[in-house]
Amino acid sequence: MALRRDDAALSQDRDTITKAVDDGPVKTRRRGLRGAFVGPGGLRMALLAAAAVALAFAVTAMLILVAGKNPLLAYWALFTGAFGSLDRIAFALNKCTPYILTGVGVALCFRAKVINVGGEGQIAVGGLATSWVALNLSSLPSALLIAAALVAGAVAGAAWAACAAAIRLKRGVHEVLCTLLLNFVGTLLVSEALNGPMGELGAGFPQSPMFVDAAWLPRLLPGTDLHMGIIIAVIAVLAGHVLLWRTPFGFRLRLLGSSNSAAAYAGASFEHGFLGVMLIAGGLAGVAGGVEVLGVHYRLIEGFSQGFGFNAVAIALLAAATPAAVLPAGLFFGFLDAGALAMQREVGIPSSLVFVIQGLTMVFVLCAMGIGMKQQRV
Amino acid sequence: MSTLLKMHGICKSYGSVQANRDIDLTVPQGRIVGLLGENGSGKSTLMKVLFGMVRPDGGSITFKGNLLAQHTPREAIAAGIGMIHQHFMLVEAMTVTENVMLGWERVGHWLRPNDTAEMIRTASKTYGLDLDPHAMIGELPFGQRQRVEIMKLILRGADLLILDEPTSNLSPPEVAGLLGVMRRLREEGHSVIFISHKLGEVLEICDEVVVLRDGQAIGRCAVEGATRADLARMMVGREIGTSAHRAEREAGTETLVVSRLSRFDAAGVERLREVSFSLRAGEILAVAGVDGNGQADLVEVIAGLKAATRGSITLGGKDITGLRVGGRLALGLAYIPVDRASTSLVPDMTIEDNIALRDFDRAPLCHGYTLDKAAFRELAISRIAQFDIRAIGPDAPVRTLSGGNQQKIVVAREIGRGPRVLLAYQPTWGLDPGATRFVIDQILALRDAGGAILYISSELEEVLMLGDRIGVMYNGRLSSLVSREDVNVTRIGLMMAGADEGSQLRSGAAS
Amino acid sequence: MDSTAFVELLAASVRIATPLLFASLGGILSERAGTFAVGLEGMMLAGAFGGAVTSFVFASPALGLAVSALSGAGLGAVVAVATARFRADQMVTGLAVNIVAVGITSFLLRGMFNGQAPVIQLPTLASLPVPYLAQLPVIGQVLFHQPALTYAALILTLPMYFFLMKTREGLTLRAVGENPAAAFAAGADPIRVRMAAIIAGGALAGLGGAVLSLQEVGTFTDGMTNGRGYLALAAIIVGRWMPLGTMLGCLLFGATTALELRIQGWGLPVSSYVIQMMPYLIALAVLAGMGRGARLPAAIGTAFTRS
Repeated sequence: MALRRDDAALSQDRDTITKAVDDGPVKTRRRGLRGAFVGPGGLRMALLAAAAVALAFAVTAMLILVAGKNPLLAYWALFTGAFGSLDRIAFALNKCTPYILTGVGVALCFRAKVINVGGEGQIAVGGLATSWVALNLSSLPSALLIAAALVAGAVAGAAWAACAAAIRLKRGVHEVLCTLLLNFVGTLLVSEALNGPMGELGAGFPQSPMFVDAAWLPRLLPGTDLHMGIIIAVIAVLAGHVLLWRTPFGFRLRLLGSSNSAAAYAGASFEHGFLGVMLIAGGLAGVAGGVEVLGVHYRLIEGFSQGFGFNAVAIALLAAATPAAVLPAGLFFGFLDAGALAMQREVGIPSSLVFVIQGLTMVFVLCAMGIGMKQQRV
Repeated sequence: MSTLLKMHGICKSYGSVQANRDIDLTVPQGRIVGLLGENGSGKSTLMKVLFGMVRPDGGSITFKGNLLAQHTPREAIAAGIGMIHQHFMLVEAMTVTENVMLGWERVGHWLRPNDTAEMIRTASKTYGLDLDPHAMIGELPFGQRQRVEIMKLILRGADLLILDEPTSNLSPPEVAGLLGVMRRLREEGHSVIFISHKLGEVLEICDEVVVLRDGQAIGRCAVEGATRADLARMMVGREIGTSAHRAEREAGTETLVVSRLSRFDAAGVERLREVSFSLRAGEILAVAGVDGNGQADLVEVIAGLKAATRGSITLGGKDITGLRVGGRLALGLAYIPVDRASTSLVPDMTIEDNIALRDFDRAPLCHGYTLDKAAFRELAISRIAQFDIRAIGPDAPVRTLSGGNQQKIVVAREIGRGPRVLLAYQPTWGLDPGATRFVIDQILALRDAGGAILYISSELEEVLMLGDRIGVMYNGRLSSLVSREDVNVTRIGLMMAGADEGSQLRSGAAS
Repeated sequence: MDSTAFVELLAASVRIATPLLFASLGGILSERAGTFAVGLEGMMLAGAFGGAVTSFVFASPALGLAVSALSGAGLGAVVAVATARFRADQMVTGLAVNIVAVGITSFLLRGMFNGQAPVIQLPTLASLPVPYLAQLPVIGQVLFHQPALTYAALILTLPMYFFLMKTREGLTLRAVGENPAAAFAAGADPIRVRMAAIIAGGALAGLGGAVLSLQEVGTFTDGMTNGRGYLALAAIIVGRWMPLGTMLGCLLFGATTALELRIQGWGLPVSSYVIQMMPYLIALAVLAGMGRGARLPAAIGTAFTRS
């Protein structure tokens, strides 16, 4: 019985973790995010996510104590701020929409072992394109106008992601750096546009003129602010789910995310998968940007894209890169955000506390993933 | 001549496998002792025991008169034993000097690279290592990196050096250089344990040889007066098992033709040298050989996972040399790789998905842009039944299955699609006898049904049992093929150890 | 643009580059030991906060500096434990820590002062002209007419170089970043080394933040680092993970920022936003130009486990 495998694995491929077993006392392993999204048991993953959230809340509670306030009061204000009335729920759902949209894209990227943190830039550029259409094609009938505007947003977001993807594919620069740096450029592009051709003259703040009524996203619930963006978000979740589990493309993504050698063995090309998933994520983020300008602000406004990108990463992590789970995770973050504003108004605790909760949740989930809590279906 | 090392009665088992059975090994001072044996003979385990990486179940080790027991590698190094592993512990982005200084207390806090460089130059001259202290490891060829590892051992005062298959990745001139270094080591009073399966080198450099087989020390003799035939017989000799039931067949049409396939790997080492053969329908071409002689490269090139530098591959008359994996699959090529853990299977995906792994983007599993999950399910169920895979159900993740059942999935997938050509590389690795039997039966069944099979294994029994024609890979070259009636075990052993006329070693012709 | 304005621009570049320089020197330690220093942004922010608030409450810039280093190191400890001990993904952990930093600093700014952010107005640290040398033409103003912390940052480049390249500890640190298995075989503890490097790097990044709040601006505002941590990261890559090259990278980015602040007065037909984009675009361009030739520490991003 052969006890030793072929040691032709002297290759320099960093992603090869299958070195011969008996090769000395130590072994470096590149598992990273890939190692987390493996294994069955959605329930265990959900429990893990819940535990991370609970721990984050607990640590933050200590912080609140340091500031001399009552954590229970704070959290109650948080809760009622989010769920307290129909109006508040509508507000929160609006907040969830860009999170969910972008989160699905980032989750799909994670599935293929791609770290895309460019949400902010892609949203910004998407919103920019949407605004351009809304301002310049304003004579179109409402449904057509909105559709065209959102499509423009998707295309712009996808193109922005493609820039980062191209640099990664052609020049080998890690996609985190590419997408990250392009975030800044994207948001500055919006400022530049608002300072120039698309700005509203005489406004005290960099913003575009308000869009015509026809461009506004219709309300879902009359009397509230809830716009139909949430429907688009849910559709995106479903589409992401189907894509991942029911199409050959999704199968390839899962292969790429599990093992490079298996992917190669099965004939899945890294380049195609990488580019494809970046385009999809960029497109989704672009739509998110479009939804924000058409449904919340009714104009292009400086800084509208702030914070969404990184939160989308957090959401995708919390959802263990499963599109279906992005929905609850995105809802969680959105309601958290909404509640935080109320918490600040009523109890005087700065809403920035929510960043702490969100960031700590991410850290705890990452730690659990790092030590190999393999819990879920690939 | 004093004894430097005495290992007595070493026993070590891994579960039911006895890796070392009551092995004795004595190494005198200033001598080179060869440790000869195939894969699985127990050489690696014995050295790991010596070096402190593994605790033996029984036996004792005396080194320089002192008992060495329950020791760690660091203690072994401190005692004067040094080991060169297959994977070097070198930092590519640093120079030779820096690598030597790493972890060496003698250098102190403020590095004085020039002093160390001087030491390196001196030792280099003494031992014929020919190393430039300021060279970057990343730019050194394999042979030179090996010398850096040897240098580290020498400078840290190793009296006994263990070299584990040191020539597997060396070109012929590099091999000659290494043998020269070993001579100098001997002259300077060091002892060397030279582990190898290559008879020619062993006979050339060693003073004595110990042959291991199946965990036992079969024999020990001085090199002087030993013949290659003797050694080969000791190394390989065994009962040939009763062959499996096989139908007599006329081989059919030529299905796979490989012509002058050559490949250089990323480091510039020639892995495949002008390999040529043709495979006919309804026959098994079984290739023996010790791991690391190019087998992996051969199957991966034919399977489409690696590119050949020269040569061509034709499948059913079509040139597939430049074709990607998907194309080759479509033409009826199947491949069972050795690595179940992360190549042929995705352990965390379900059985269903793994069975679909290679055909998921073609009908009937895929229609247009959607996967037909019902078809996935149907296929999985039918394969599970057909190949008797023991599992809870088609959506159990593969990693919950035993090794044998996992391999059944791979076999079910590759053979189940009725391929024209099957490449099987160590398909029974890590399997218990029952599962091994199963795999072999399946392959024979495919052969009977008209498939053409290239079967590569380091298990000689399997090769002898299965092959209609048999060949040996050594050093990237495929020997001439012998039909099973004409096979001679000793001759195969010689070929595996590179001592046959066809594959000459450098200086020192066949003796 | 006349020569005095040009010299003034150069001097400003050096001054503005100072926070970047501290942060990137800290980042070099972390990256060289094999951990992506994505968390520099958060560590800088924590340091800016710690330094400003301490200086404000205790009226002592020196104490402020000390606390800023501690704050940065504290966040560094979070990254260290998560990535080296728990093997969390390095990139995303860094991002998470940046998010936490924004939240915590913003929160504590109000939370520690009864819900109302105090108006912090600190005198910015003054320039310390070096006698004689400050009189030299051009160089005098650019290099020798700077605040104390700028001198500190510029000088720090040298000992950092020596540490990395000329000491045994530096050799071990670099080995851990290139091939932790080899370092382990040579007797080092890669996990400990990495953690130490990240925490030390965090302390330096914290100092960089203090430079921002104490020397540059004189106050703390939410999220005031505004991407400087990422620029520091880009500077490390541009400088090929060597202190001297990184310093040049920081000066380059400092120059673009200095330029942006002054461009209005020159009436150039380039929008200020485009100028603001320059650092990021340049960083991208350099990274793309270096491409795969960028010699990262080979084991960066990988977790180390004994087996």
